[in-house]
Amino acid sequence: MAQVEKRGGLLRKSSASKKPLKEKVVLMYDEIFMTEDPSKCSPRFWEELFLMKVNLEYLEGKLESLDGEELMKIKDNINCLFQHCIQALGEEHPIRVVNALQTLCALIRGVHQKNKSTSGFDIINMLMGFDKAELCMKNLMESLDSLLCAEGSESLKSLCLKLLLCLVTVTDNISQNTILEYVMINSIFEAILQILSHPPSRREHGYDAVVLLALLVNYRKYESVNPYIVKLSIVDDEATLNGMGLVIAQALSEYNRQYKDKEEEHQSGFFSALTNMVGSMFIADAHEKISVQTNEAILLALYEAVHLNRNFITVLAQSHPEIGLVTTPVSPVPTTPATPLGTTPPSSDVISSVELPLDADVQTSNLLITFLKYSSIVMQDTKDEHRLHSGKLCLIILTCIAEDQYANAFLHDDNMNFRVNLHRMPMRHRKKAADKNLPCRPLVCAVLDLMVEFIVTHMMKEFPMDLYVRCIQVVHKLLCYQKKCRVRLHYTWRELWSALINLLKFLMSNETVLLAKHNIFTLALMIVNLFNMFITYGDTFLPTPSSYDELYYEIIRMHQSFDNLYSMVLRLSTNAGQWKEAASKVTHALVNIRAIINHFNPKIESYAAVNHISQLSEEQVLEVVRANYDTLTLKLQDGLDQYERYSEQHKEAAFFKELVRSISTNVRRNLAFHTLSQEVLLKEFSTIS
Amino acid sequence: MSLEARSLAVAMGDNEPTPSPPGNNGGSLLSVITEGVGELSVIDPEVAQKACQEVLEKVKLLHGGVAVSSRGTPLELVNGDGVDSEIHCLDETPTQIREEEDEMGATMASGTAKGSRRRRQNNSAKQSWLLRLFESKLFDISMAISYLYNSKEPGVQAYIGNRLFCFRNEDVDFYLPQLLNMYIHMDEDVGDAIKPYIVHRCRQSINFSLQCALLLGAYSSDMHISTQRHSRGTKLRKLILSDELKPAHRKRELPSLSPAPDTGLSPSKRTHQRSKSDATASISLSSNLKRTASNPKVENEDEELSSSTESIDNSFSSPVRLAPEREFIKSLMAIGKRLATLPTKEQKTQRLISELSLLNHKLPARVWLPTAGFDHHVVRVPHTQAVVLNSKDKAPYLIYVEVLECENFDTTSVPARIPENRIRSTRSVENLPECGITHEQRAGSFSTVPNYDNDDEAWSVDDIGELQVELPEVHTNSCDNISQFSVDSITSQESKEPVFIAAGDIRRRLSEQLAHTPTAFRRDPEDPSAVALKEPWQEKVRRIREGSPYGHLPNWRLLSVIVKCGDDLRQELLAFQVLKQLQVKKQSQLSLLDYFLQEHGSYTTEAFLSAQRNFVQSCAGYCLVCYLLQVKDRHNGNILLDAEGHIIHIDFGFILSSSPRNLGFETSAFKLTTEFVDVMGGLDGDMFNYYKMLMLQGLIAARKHMDKVVQIVEIMQQGSQLPCFHGSSTIRNLKERFHMSMTEEQLQLLVEQMVDGSMRSITTKLYDGFQYLTNGIM
Repeated sequence: MAQVEKRGGLLRKSSASKKPLKEKVVLMYDEIFMTEDPSKCSPRFWEELFLMKVNLEYLEGKLESLDGEELMKIKDNINCLFQHCIQALGEEHPIRVVNALQTLCALIRGVHQKNKSTSGFDIINMLMGFDKAELCMKNLMESLDSLLCAEGSESLKSLCLKLLLCLVTVTDNISQNTILEYVMINSIFEAILQILSHPPSRREHGYDAVVLLALLVNYRKYESVNPYIVKLSIVDDEATLNGMGLVIAQALSEYNRQYKDKEEEHQSGFFSALTNMVGSMFIADAHEKISVQTNEAILLALYEAVHLNRNFITVLAQSHPEIGLVTTPVSPVPTTPATPLGTTPPSSDVISSVELPLDADVQTSNLLITFLKYSSIVMQDTKDEHRLHSGKLCLIILTCIAEDQYANAFLHDDNMNFRVNLHRMPMRHRKKAADKNLPCRPLVCAVLDLMVEFIVTHMMKEFPMDLYVRCIQVVHKLLCYQKKCRVRLHYTWRELWSALINLLKFLMSNETVLLAKHNIFTLALMIVNLFNMFITYGDTFLPTPSSYDELYYEIIRMHQSFDNLYSMVLRLSTNAGQWKEAASKVTHALVNIRAIINHFNPKIESYAAVNHISQLSEEQVLEVVRANYDTLTLKLQDGLDQYERYSEQHKEAAFFKELVRSISTNVRRNLAFHTLSQEVLLKEFSTIS
Repeated sequence: MSLEARSLAVAMGDNEPTPSPPGNNGGSLLSVITEGVGELSVIDPEVAQKACQEVLEKVKLLHGGVAVSSRGTPLELVNGDGVDSEIHCLDETPTQIREEEDEMGATMASGTAKGSRRRRQNNSAKQSWLLRLFESKLFDISMAISYLYNSKEPGVQAYIGNRLFCFRNEDVDFYLPQLLNMYIHMDEDVGDAIKPYIVHRCRQSINFSLQCALLLGAYSSDMHISTQRHSRGTKLRKLILSDELKPAHRKRELPSLSPAPDTGLSPSKRTHQRSKSDATASISLSSNLKRTASNPKVENEDEELSSSTESIDNSFSSPVRLAPEREFIKSLMAIGKRLATLPTKEQKTQRLISELSLLNHKLPARVWLPTAGFDHHVVRVPHTQAVVLNSKDKAPYLIYVEVLECENFDTTSVPARIPENRIRSTRSVENLPECGITHEQRAGSFSTVPNYDNDDEAWSVDDIGELQVELPEVHTNSCDNISQFSVDSITSQESKEPVFIAAGDIRRRLSEQLAHTPTAFRRDPEDPSAVALKEPWQEKVRRIREGSPYGHLPNWRLLSVIVKCGDDLRQELLAFQVLKQLQVKKQSQLSLLDYFLQEHGSYTTEAFLSAQRNFVQSCAGYCLVCYLLQVKDRHNGNILLDAEGHIIHIDFGFILSSSPRNLGFETSAFKLTTEFVDVMGGLDGDMFNYYKMLMLQGLIAARKHMDKVVQIVEIMQQGSQLPCFHGSSTIRNLKERFHMSMTEEQLQLLVEQMVDGSMRSITTKLYDGFQYLTNGIM
């Protein structure tokens, strides 16, 4: 120990004293930036180079400072450097490998930053030379693959992943990054999977691996066959999928935890402010300040997993203890994941590795619950673009989930009850619901709650039409499942009904503003059709006969809104305007609701008249409703229980392109910091040498 | 039913040769009953008798388990589908009794036993007689055990030790606890006599090894003083565990390949799967297969891979035979312990489900349930079906276990793991051709279903197939109109003619359907077990089978297990239990009689009558057992009722001399509340008289077997510190309760008294009240 310190001290001293002088490695870099072959005068030049500590800033800066033409002049040397880097990756001594990896990072970044305008092919030529590029990249990928799969140093693996991330994110638009073509041909997919399936490595590198995978899947997604998409879609190894799920769950719950901490911090701050009698002024923006950087990369990974890989759906329901509090995350797989019980030597490993923390406070959770909580936070505020993206992606993921048969099965499973604390936006007209009293219900209730919550909290001028449409679609898809499978969910449907009616009201009262930007009739049609679903198919999925009565009550009670909607769509459909067709669809859809209103209203009025009551109670109205069902005839509408399946290809392509672009930028920005810190690595390998 | 037939024969056999004076009475009584109620009724005294022995046996087993608890592995797994399990347990007893009685008669058996004792004391010259007895056909395991216990002659003991090999395995298994207890706690010679047999059996059966190991551990830990003997038990246990006793033919050279933790991945059941990581896994082992980083033909490699890994699997298959099973048991126990730390039932259930889902990752494996009657491998625990049972501080839980029956546990290879989601096809263009077939078939069977999807994505078809498959079939009868309705919606699509429906119809269908759904309990978060147990077994099996990736295999079976683990207190015993019964009372909120009416129809229906008969018969049997063994802690939570009306007692935690917390409650002989009597048709009902008669008969029958019962208890008392053996008078009291000296008339009086006393007993009611207040068991 003392020796190490001594050495460290010595190093520091020497480097400090040499500061005005140039480091040896810098001198060597300078040689590379000459046009002459550096190994000419010193044959051991390359060997020595990779023994030096890399000076990333210098190398990168130097590359940046050269313009295209100057760079072309030293192309041979750069090619040489690149090749030697790849050679060095195969070396036994880890220091050389580390230095080579870092040099590669610097090279790739330096060349790119300089050549923002040039094409990908130029860059390949610059780095490797066209003739050698294929072989070069093949060697590089194979070296990285074996480094990642080998039982080597963890920090070395981490550096490999950083290099890959660096390679993948050098361009803003991932699809323009031509080098990735070689990454497609020489797949490192298997290495990524191995990292995820192996608990220790997953703990270390899971995050990077998942982000890398998510990005690679998005390379020329729509234009060509991306082998990563194909491969990801057929993964069925549970250990791997669970590993991936755990990484995502961990990242999401970390976000949830941070948010919660900030929120609590704020509340205490708010209370102290209150005592100072000035706080009230800041309440409004106090809540807006609570924003934690959202993590779209991990959300994208979740999306790709859910969307591409059917088997991943099972992982959503895979239980894990609430992560965040647990320092060593519990793996769903024992430390020797691949050993069947039948062949294990007698050891307590199998047990201890499954041992969950005994803490009674730790609530069991699963990826879906964590995701729902995350969504509830993210969707609260959709004002800035990042959050809008995140919220949209959350809804897209929910759409995929709501379409999936297996996911629906466990969402509606009566045996799997959970208490899901969704975050609710504090609003003036309602109190923050007491979290503790939440009942334990099937998970689908939480999804519905989340949707209802979204509906009631986003009726604003900057109307998030797209999100609303997705939200209603999710509800519709869930209802379709319930109808088909005759699931009678004990849910307070009334909340959903009144939220929907309020949304209709909002649409009508802001008709002029909204019509300028959106086609509000598609949304109105969807809402009306949800009601139609309840009216005509209610017998297949409503929990009790009285809930059907309540539906009628709610419609009759709010008949004004439906009347207004009807007159609005009637007006617009008779005009030969832009909205004629869309509005007339709503007119037709309203037929049953209008029939109900027209049928019961006179009956209720006469009931009131006969009994001399001015204001009927709910019970009385229900009584009238029950007595008069038989004389009401409804029209069966087509296609209420059908929906268009989600498809990314055409409609969402633009969104995902934009999303991936912003993720790339983000990852690149974060990388700069990480890759530069070399201390850990040096410490680790200095002891070996 | 087959059991009933058999026991009927037993009962007859019992009746005919009885030479004792009260024999006539017994005969007439029997005939009275046969006239009155029908021939089935004759069974009951026998059943009671058997139940008695069975319970004793179980209790012994339980003790085994308890004692293990001090070492941290208290577990008893008892399987069963209500009736089945009973039959299974009984199986051993009746056959035994029949053998004995057919040939010799009950009294004679006990006579010889007594006689032999006398003889032994008098003169060893009579050994030749003894030898003749031993060699005679009539010499059975029960006698063997008795001689083994009582004889001090090493020769006799050695002889019996050898003789053990001649008995049927099942017969000896019944007395295994006794044998092992003797092995541990009695002197060298007995031990030496028994050991070869045990070793032999251990070689034969892995299940036997496990039981021995558990029991030995249990009994040994009772002994603190005599370290020498103690170590004998421990030694044997170690021997068994060390696995030197595996069948000789399986002793083959294992390749010195270690499970390769150093390469990061080990040979695995998962290697049979199609995935990249398999490829890597197999590389660490089989050098002939090399993964290339960019191999796109993963699919093609698969078959090759799986075959190669399979062979590796096999060569690995038997390093330690018992270890996996012990690990399995340990994990189940660990789950139970962790559950006990959680405050609410809801949390417990959640945790249980998640823990079990983790456990699933390690299955299938070479583990089995010791309770099942056939060889099998456990393949999956359907975790969402598990429930936590009602118990205040311990957390016993009920799990269902999917197993695959196999011919031989040792030699059959462990089934390959099928991932949870295997039934689903992978959403990939590549995979569609192979998976499509099954889905198309499925979709085909629902050909009336329209293709809702307009988009051309390839997987939409099988999605609909799945969706339709999951339609609950139960509804088909009750909602014909609905299916027609949905057809309507389809045709309307085509014809474009408006279809009108009446709102009233919708409303009516809704209420009709709800009325048609079976009398399911509303889910109660406080008592999730009730809903789970209410579901008929067959239906549950079907449902779980549908949801299981292994369900398609023909040898798929479902077993159920209750796992209860105790804390350090010995009092806390293991629970076992049976399916198809439920703790109905709390849920239904009805009186017991009302429940019977609700479940079995009105008083006059066949169902009600047979249920009532079952109830009475089982009640009588258990009452007797309760009386003889002084089973305590009889609150309603410990008494179950199955779908056919059989009453079943569980939790024999307090028997003989022990009683919960020594509160002195439960002074009555057995539990018989007015509710029970109501079901039997009231105090003057025929059924009630029948009940009393059964009690009497049972008691008489039990007396005949007193020796055997007492013997079992006596042997187990050796070296035991269990609370049920507290006090010196345990055995004496037990003997007294058989009332050997009474005539049958006196006995009849006694039964009357006991029934009367129990019924009026306030304490029984009080105890229920007490349990209700403290544990919320109603």
